[in-house]
Amino acid sequence: MSPPRAKRLLAEAANCDPAAIADDAAIGSFESWDSLAHLRLVLALEERIGRQLDPDESVRIETLSDIAALLAANE
Amino acid sequence: MTIHTKGRPVLLTSKRFALRSLKPTDASERWISWLKDPEVMGPLNAPIRKWTAQELMAHIGSADNDNRYLIGLFDLASKLQIGFYMVDVDQFHRRATFNVVIGDRSWWGKSVVNETRAALLDEFFNNRGVEKASGTPLARNFPAVFNYKAQGWRHEGTFRRQCLSVTDGSRLDQYQFGLTRDEWRAIRLEDAQ
Repeated sequence: MSPPRAKRLLAEAANCDPAAIADDAAIGSFESWDSLAHLRLVLALEERIGRQLDPDESVRIETLSDIAALLAANE
Repeated sequence: MTIHTKGRPVLLTSKRFALRSLKPTDASERWISWLKDPEVMGPLNAPIRKWTAQELMAHIGSADNDNRYLIGLFDLASKLQIGFYMVDVDQFHRRATFNVVIGDRSWWGKSVVNETRAALLDEFFNNRGVEKASGTPLARNFPAVFNYKAQGWRHEGTFRRQCLSVTDGSRLDQYQFGLTRDEWRAIRLEDAQ
């Protein structure tokens, strides 16, 4: 199961209910994860971890699991 | 003013948009305003330009519909131009590099790029001899990166500190995204099933 905080972060960025996000959510898998939501997501992630993501990190954000992994790696 | 008319103009429609090669007479105050808008030009690291209509007309006239295309996006409902593509074609390598500007902010976040770029990929891959498409967004142009990924392009590499910011002189990272004709046809087949 995906950690709830990753799902909450994605839900806030995508302006949707966390319950509506599947555990295997990925870019292209639901409509509200669009280009502007992705922008909000990456900026929120950076704010959460307190630094700018490097390009190798930000380009790997494709799934809910990627978000969770990034948060876990920066605890 | 030199107007190149070498190749066949593009004329396409997608579900919501008309896409057509632009002519110098398409120069408009609307378009000129986009070139002055930091929020439009910033993600592209393009300098703010205060062009006159004549300068914009000359720029449009430099596209020859062969090596360089300037293709306007027009909302089918309002008929207004909302943005444009610049597509550079390397004829020898049969490769096209896509750049897009959605100048009308009211269309941001509404899947304009992937709807219209799909129509262009069909056209360039099927009718204009292109075998490879490329795109090179800035690494922090997150909406553009999203669009490439959502459309099935592959991240082929990262150019670290590749270019100089036109706003603050810092060095910026850039990605290379790519899509082959065969990959695009496989995506289209999958979408149709």
